[in-house]
Amino acid sequence: MARAREIPGLDCDAPFARAAARATEVRASEVFEHSDGILDMEDIEPLHDMRVATRRLRAAMEVFEPCFPRKRRRKSLKRVKALADALGERRDCDVAIEFLEGFAAEAPEDDRDALAALIDGLREEQRMANEELAPFVAPKRLEKLHCRLRKLVKAVQA
Amino acid sequence: MKARRVKGLDPSKPLRGNAALILRTRLDELRSFADDALEPGAVEAQHDMRIAAKRLRYVLEITGFCFGAEAETARGAAKDLQSVLGGIHDCDVMLPRAEGIDSLTTFLHARRELLFQRFRDLWREQAGEGVWAGLEYALPP
Repeated sequence: MARAREIPGLDCDAPFARAAARATEVRASEVFEHSDGILDMEDIEPLHDMRVATRRLRAAMEVFEPCFPRKRRRKSLKRVKALADALGERRDCDVAIEFLEGFAAEAPEDDRDALAALIDGLREEQRMANEELAPFVAPKRLEKLHCRLRKLVKAVQA
Repeated sequence: MKARRVKGLDPSKPLRGNAALILRTRLDELRSFADDALEPGAVEAQHDMRIAAKRLRYVLEITGFCFGAEAETARGAAKDLQSVLGGIHDCDVMLPRAEGIDSLTTFLHARRELLFQRFRDLWREQAGEGVWAGLEYALPP
């Protein structure tokens, strides 16, 4: 999992609002940096990194809540949350499949068919979750969200 | 689990004081789940405590540098809690799917029990080492 990036320019004695703008800007860029290869179901790490980045962004938007215009923040947060939820649905399947494949390799013969069926079912769920995720990570939609977040940062109130 | 509202935040005042208010609230929130979560079968409280640990960790990732080594220690401790409670949660999510597959059910129950013991030991260890008291002490009044 990608470690949270240090946020340059933060100053403990500077106004909270200035920190809000800086932290949200950095956390937002982290989300978009991790968008390559998200729909690849063979390599599950990029999706995990992007999911964690959305969590960190949400955390920043929650921590600095009073610094943002209420309506603008609410709308942005709603969109970030929708993206995070779609990523989460796929991630849950990724994790379960990875675990079960490892488990099945060592499982008693009697349980192997049932485990294979369980994994097949999860693969189908994973495929559906990926389909539902696709529109959320389409380049145009991501750019729109990034633009919205830049505007939110600019609108930070002191 | 909805986050507890932080009162008294002021965008025009320094980051340090505002961050201290948030951290106190998030730390109280984490501690408030501990008694219940330390019961082996308390699925909901353990889930809530995982979310509370995650919230505290992410606030510390942004603002911890204002509060020195105690905050860095607390960040690591919150991450450890989140990780072990996350493992317990994964077992809870998988168990209903495992119905009828004996080896998997047995494994998940045993893993959950082991992780629960690890969680209980970790919480005691963190308290014993004064991790949370240290964070509290590092925050300005």
